[in-house]
Amino acid sequence: MSNKRKQHRVLPGFGLSMGYTLIYLSLIILIPIAVLFLKATTISLAEFWETVTETRVVASYKLTIYTSFIAAFVNAIFGTLIAWVLVRYEFYGKRIIDALVDLPFALPTAVAGIALTTIYAPNGWIGQYFESIGIKVAYTPLGIMIALTFIGLPFVVRSVQPVLQDLDQQYEEAAATLGANSLQIFVKIIFPAIFPAILTGFALAFARALGEYGSVVFISGNMPMKTEIVPLLIITKLEQFNYAGAAAIAVVMLVFSFVLLFLINFWQWKTTKKYQVC
Amino acid sequence: MMVRETTLHAKDVKTTFQPVLVTKWLLITIAIGFLGIFIVVPLIAVFSEALNKGIQLYFAALTEPDALSAINLTLLTAAITIPVNTLFGVLAAWAIAKFEFRGKNILITLIDIPFAVSPVIAGLVFVLLFGSQGLLGPFLEANNIKIIFGVPGIILATIFVTFPFVVRELLPIMQEQGTEEEQAAITLGANGWQMFFRVTLPNIKWGLLYGVILCNARAMGEFGAVSVVSGHIRGLTNTIPLHVEILYNEYNFTAAFAVASLLALLALLTLILKSFVEWKTNKH
Amino acid sequence: MGITIKDVSKAFGTFQAVKNVNLDIPTGDFVALLGPSGSGKTTLLRLIAGLEGLDSGGIYFDDVDYTYKTIKERNVGFVFQNYALFKHMTIFDNIAFGLKVRPRKTRPSKNEIAEKVNELLKLVQLDHLANRYPSQLSGGQRQRIALARALAVEPEVLLLDEPFGALDAKVRQELRHWLREIHQKLNITTIFVTHDQEEALEMADTVVVMNNGEIEQIGSPEEVYQKPESAFVYSFLGRVNEFREPERVGESEIISYIRPHEIVLRKISQGNSIISEVSHIHVIGSTVRIELRRHDTGDLFEAEMSIEQYQNMSPVKKGDILHAEFKNIVVFNSENKITHLANSGIRNSLKSKLI
Repeated sequence: MSNKRKQHRVLPGFGLSMGYTLIYLSLIILIPIAVLFLKATTISLAEFWETVTETRVVASYKLTIYTSFIAAFVNAIFGTLIAWVLVRYEFYGKRIIDALVDLPFALPTAVAGIALTTIYAPNGWIGQYFESIGIKVAYTPLGIMIALTFIGLPFVVRSVQPVLQDLDQQYEEAAATLGANSLQIFVKIIFPAIFPAILTGFALAFARALGEYGSVVFISGNMPMKTEIVPLLIITKLEQFNYAGAAAIAVVMLVFSFVLLFLINFWQWKTTKKYQVC
Repeated sequence: MMVRETTLHAKDVKTTFQPVLVTKWLLITIAIGFLGIFIVVPLIAVFSEALNKGIQLYFAALTEPDALSAINLTLLTAAITIPVNTLFGVLAAWAIAKFEFRGKNILITLIDIPFAVSPVIAGLVFVLLFGSQGLLGPFLEANNIKIIFGVPGIILATIFVTFPFVVRELLPIMQEQGTEEEQAAITLGANGWQMFFRVTLPNIKWGLLYGVILCNARAMGEFGAVSVVSGHIRGLTNTIPLHVEILYNEYNFTAAFAVASLLALLALLTLILKSFVEWKTNKH
Repeated sequence: MGITIKDVSKAFGTFQAVKNVNLDIPTGDFVALLGPSGSGKTTLLRLIAGLEGLDSGGIYFDDVDYTYKTIKERNVGFVFQNYALFKHMTIFDNIAFGLKVRPRKTRPSKNEIAEKVNELLKLVQLDHLANRYPSQLSGGQRQRIALARALAVEPEVLLLDEPFGALDAKVRQELRHWLREIHQKLNITTIFVTHDQEEALEMADTVVVMNNGEIEQIGSPEEVYQKPESAFVYSFLGRVNEFREPERVGESEIISYIRPHEIVLRKISQGNSIISEVSHIHVIGSTVRIELRRHDTGDLFEAEMSIEQYQNMSPVKKGDILHAEFKNIVVFNSENKITHLANSGIRNSLKSKLI
C-alpha cells in the first residue's frame, strides 16, 4: 500500500511529530542504552561471565529478586483490598485515602528512604516494638521489603481500581439471583475479572522494585552478601572506576527488566484483545 | 445515569445485609491501617524529625548557602526538563494516537523503557557516554566540556527518567477522543496550528497538566540517576535529594529532614493538584 | 457546483472499499448514497471531501481537477455521523469556528461573524441555544448545529455522513423534512450517505445505490424503486419475496422476485393463481401483511394489502386456503438482465421459472 503513492493523511503534522519523536527517543534513550551494551562488550565473554556470576553479585541478584517479589506480593494482596474498599464502599475521608495512595509516586525516594529508616531503626517509632520481640527491621532484608512495599503500593491499586469500577454489577446480581453467596460471587465472578489487572499491577510493582535505589539504600545497611542490592553494586563498581564491570551487571539487569516489560505489554495487549472480542 | 442507578441499587442491597456490613468495616479498617503504617506514618515522621529541634533550626537548615544552591539547581533542572519532555510528550502522543502506522506497539514499548530501567542504570548510561572514560569522554575533555559531574549530566539523567510521563498521560486521552473533531476543524478551513491550539489542546489540557505535575514531581525528587552523574560537589552539583543524603550521612538528621520536608510538601502539593485535575476531568 | 467522479478506486489494506466508481452529479442536486454497511458509500463521501486519498481515478468539481486539492481548497461542508461538535466550545463558537480561523485578510469582523452565526442559528431554528455547550443539547439539536457549522463557511458542496443515524424515529422524520427545506432554500449540491432506503427515497432527487464498493444503479427515487436494474437493487429497496429455483447442471441459479403488494389474494380461484395456506397475519397500522405457504413448493411468501382490502376480504384466519395471483414477477438471469412477467400467460413461465 504505502509504496503505491504518497500516503494520504487528513490530519497534519505526522512527519513533524513522528520525526521529532524518533530523533528525541534515539538521542535520549536508545543511543545511551546502546552504548551501555557496547561497553559491556569491551570485555571478553569469559570476563563478562566472571563479573556477572561472582558470588557477591549473585547474592545481590537473589536478594533483589527475593525482596522485590515479596514486596510485590504483599502489594498484590493489600493493593487489591484497598482498591476494593475505594470502589465499593462509601465512608468519610475516602477521597483523602484515595489521594494518599499516590504518595509513593510523588514522594522522592530519598525522602521515603530516610523516613522509613528512622521509623524502623531499633529505637524508631515502629522499630522499637520489633526490637522488643527480637526482630530487626532496618539494615536487614525485612527493611528492604518494607521500602519496596512502600514504593510499589500504588501500582496494584491503580491497576485494579478502574477494572473494578467498570465491572458491570449485573454479573454479580445475576450470580446472586442464581443462588451464589458473597464469597462464591467474589471467587467465581469478581476475582477472575480483576485477576489480569492484579497481575499487571504485581508485575509493574515487581519491575519497579528491582531497580529501586533511593528508598532502599538508606534502610538496607548495604552489607555485601547480606543486604546489598544490585543497583548499589553497580554504583560501587562505578566508584571503583570499573566501568565495564558496572556495564556488565547493568546489562544483566536490563535484559531481565526488558523481558518483564515485554511480558507486561504483551499481557496487556492480549487481555484487551480478549475483552474486545467478548 | 445508568451507572449511578446501578451502584445506588447495589448499595441498598448491601446495607440491608448485616454480615456484609461487618465485612465492609473490617476491610476498611485493614485498608486504612495498611495505608496509615506505610504512608501516613513516614510522612508524619519527616515533619516531626524536621521540627523536633525547633523552628529556628528548621529554617536555618533551609537557608544555609548549600541548601539554597541545591534548591536552585533543582528548580533549574525542572525548568529545563519539563518543557523539553512536555514538547516531546505532546508530539509523540499526537503521532501515536492520531495516525496509523506500522510498529506502533514497538514505539510505545520503547518510550516506556525509562519506567523499566533502574534509575542507577539511567545515570550509568550517561557516565558511559560522556564520562572521562566514556565514548565521547576524550572529545569532551579536549573541548573542555563537562557533562558528567556537572549540571548538564544532572539535567540529562533527569530528562531520561521523566521521559515517558507526559506521553503516557496524553496517549489514552487522545486515543479515546479519536480524530473526528480535528477532521471537522480541517473541513472548516483551519490550518494545522489552528486545529491544534483551538481543538486538540483544549481537549487534552487537564491530562497535559496532570502529566506535567507528575513529571515535575519526579524531576525534582529524582535521586538514583542524579546521584550517579552528579559527583556530589556541595554548592555546585547537589540537588535537593542529594543534599538530603549528604546531611543524613553526616548524622545531621534534623537538617536532613528539614530539607526533606520541602520535598514532602512538594509531594503533598502534587497530590492536591492531581486530585483537583481528576475532579475537573470527571466533571466534564 | 457539479461533481464528476471518474474511475475512482480506494482500498484499505486488502479490502477494496470503492471499485472504479463513475458518477456525475449536477449542480444543486440532492443525492443519496444508499447501500448496506460496507458498500463503500461513506468512503466515497470521504473521498469527495478529501478526508481519504484515492488510489486511482479523479474527482472534478465543475470540470476542474480537484483530485489532489487539499480539504481546505475543496470548500466542502462536511457533517460527521456523530456530529464532531467541539465539546469545549459554546454553540455560538462552534458555528463561528470556520469564520474565525480564516486568515486575517479574509476574516470577517467580529460583528459580521456574530451576524452570520445568528442568521444560521435562525435558519436551524435554535437561536435560543447560542450560549449552551454541545453536551447540553439533544441529538436532534446537535445535528442541526453540526449542519449550521458546516454551512457557516458557505460551502459549495454539502456532504452528510449518515445524518440521522443516531436519532430516534420521530426526530428523524422531522429532520428529513427540515433538511429538504434547507436544501430548497440554499440550493447547494448536497450528498448524504444512508443505509435507510426509506430515507433515501423520501428525501433525495437522485438515489445512488451502492453495493460491494460499486454503483448498482443511479436514478430518481421512482426509477430505482419501479425499475431496478439489478437483483441487488430490487431486493434492497422495499420488501420482496424471493424464489430460488434449484440449480440445474450447467446453469447458474435463477432467482425470481415479487413485491408483496404485487400479490393479489382471493378466496376463490381466478386466472393463474397459486393455492396457498395462511400461516400468519400481521396488522401494522394501515397495512396488513399476510404470510402464506405455497402448496406446490412449500415456500413461504408474504403478501401486503391495505387495511380496507383486508376488511373487504375478511374473515381471514390462520390456516385458511387462499388463491394468490402474482402480478409482476421479476427474474434476473446470470448476466443480471431483467425480465418482467405480467400476469397474462404467466402459467407456463411460472412453472418453468418458479416451480
